[in-house]
Amino acid sequence: MKREKRNQIIWAVGMSLASFVMLIPVIMMFMTSMKTMEEIKSPVFRLFPASFSFQNYIDAMSNGIWPVYFRNSLMITGAAVLFSLLFNSIAGYAFARLSFRGAKIMFLFLMMGLMMPPQVTMLPTFLIMAKFPLMGGNDIFGSGGTGLVNTYAGLVIPLVSGSYGVFLCKQFYENFPRSLDEAAMIDGAGKWRTYFTIYLPNSKAILATLGLLKAVSVWNDYMWPLVMTNSETMKTVQLALTMFKTDSGVMWNQMMAAAVLVALPMFVLFLCAQKYFIQGIVTSGLK
Amino acid sequence: MAGQQSVKKFRRTRGQVYDNCAYAMIFPAYFVFTIFILVPIGVVFYYSITNFNLYSKPEIVGALNYVNLIKDADFLISVQNTLFYTIFTLFPQLALGLLAAVLLYRKSRLLPVFRTAFYLPNVMSMVCISMVWLWIYDPTFGVLNMLLKTFGFSTKQWLQDPDMAMFCVILMSIWKSCGYSMVIFLSGLTSIPDSLYEAASLDGANPFRKFLHITWPMLRPTTFFLLVTGIVNSFSVFEQVNIMTGGGPLKMTTTIVHQIYRRGFLEFKMGYASAMSVVLLAFSVLVTVFVFKYGSKGQDVDVS
Repeated sequence: MKREKRNQIIWAVGMSLASFVMLIPVIMMFMTSMKTMEEIKSPVFRLFPASFSFQNYIDAMSNGIWPVYFRNSLMITGAAVLFSLLFNSIAGYAFARLSFRGAKIMFLFLMMGLMMPPQVTMLPTFLIMAKFPLMGGNDIFGSGGTGLVNTYAGLVIPLVSGSYGVFLCKQFYENFPRSLDEAAMIDGAGKWRTYFTIYLPNSKAILATLGLLKAVSVWNDYMWPLVMTNSETMKTVQLALTMFKTDSGVMWNQMMAAAVLVALPMFVLFLCAQKYFIQGIVTSGLK
Repeated sequence: MAGQQSVKKFRRTRGQVYDNCAYAMIFPAYFVFTIFILVPIGVVFYYSITNFNLYSKPEIVGALNYVNLIKDADFLISVQNTLFYTIFTLFPQLALGLLAAVLLYRKSRLLPVFRTAFYLPNVMSMVCISMVWLWIYDPTFGVLNMLLKTFGFSTKQWLQDPDMAMFCVILMSIWKSCGYSMVIFLSGLTSIPDSLYEAASLDGANPFRKFLHITWPMLRPTTFFLLVTGIVNSFSVFEQVNIMTGGGPLKMTTTIVHQIYRRGFLEFKMGYASAMSVVLLAFSVLVTVFVFKYGSKGQDVDVS
């Protein structure tokens, strides 16, 4: 018994050390965000700033129109999460529970998306967006204007369909007891009602998982906004963050302050939802 | 396109046994998938044999783009860099993730805390992380050189050094992604029945043998899943390269997607960049098929 206790303590100490090593860059990001440039430039390295001041945060946020960047990122992330959850879960339900012609082949087609780096289709997707008919000054043949480039729709629409999301939802719904369906059928509920009154309310775990994964990936996305936007007012926080990297005289403290603010929403989201997140990974058979 | 065709087909031959509302249910997801994944794959193949440059009408030039690709020194070095990055990021990251998972796996209230610590870098954006590591690697004010100086070693140029830049990018990428592998491996570990370990203990097996003969074989599907998704992800490495080094110094960190971005969106050589995209797609599919064929070794392994 005593030995077990000792092992437990050794384990806890060892893992705490490992966790600390993992977190060093994150800790340094926080610490540097409160230092003055003199402290950063001084040859003696100290982990803690001389005084905890939030002046860098104020200065960083006045560099560009950050409220707009945050609004853009928030809108894009919110819309992408909402629509992708709805579309993926309803498609997952159909593939898991309904029998229809071509179901197998259509699902296989959808799974092709899992094997393909999204960057392969980035170029044509951009062109399709730019040539979208009747949008952004385009005529019906898709010429004349800028299409969906530089719009929220252009940033969000390609993100709402996810092969991974449909796959996870299908897996999840296949584990639902069939008797639920039968009970619903006896009560005279159609397939739509069965989905909306039984399946959807009982899929909190998978929706939390998918929602979190999607939110993190959309909020953190750099490439698609880089390609799809070209104006200051459509920038997302990730694009704005790269502005701090200049060729000379980088204000490291302000850069770190902005990095903290950009990372913070996802930290909070993850810490709040991690129970669902881990649970979802396990239940969806991703083992 | 498959979705729309099926909808038409169903209207012509209305069957009683089928749940026809399924087509309406999968329509939103499938429509977006078709327009933004399936159609673009076709489009990228078409553009790859044209000289499209965004402003003029595309003309078919046959295999010219592909011929030029083979002669393009920048592209060849980007392929080499991408493969290098994939090998030296993926395997250490999987090994570290597995090691962390095996060490962490224990019934304790502290487990979620440690798991969170390991996973945290993974919820930060590549931009954030690149910014932090830009500072860490900075030759004058960076913390790495400061530590080296403190202990009396000579300082390094890190990202500005052609021989080291790729390793710097790789180190950062391993740090970011090993937490993800760890979480997946941990969930794989929880599905291994305890009885196996108990039986092994009765036979007097030490922890190392238990790992070799129980944990490792039982985690095979997990490893396989991580390997396939990891390869596809590593092949498309771009963000950290574009932000931290811009492909330099001396093109030592440029990657395939970085070249696609440069040629396509900065030089507007859409046809040429499409040919690169096709090569990237071919690489991903080939390696995935290869791993599927030889990685599962005839065992009944599910991708899930």
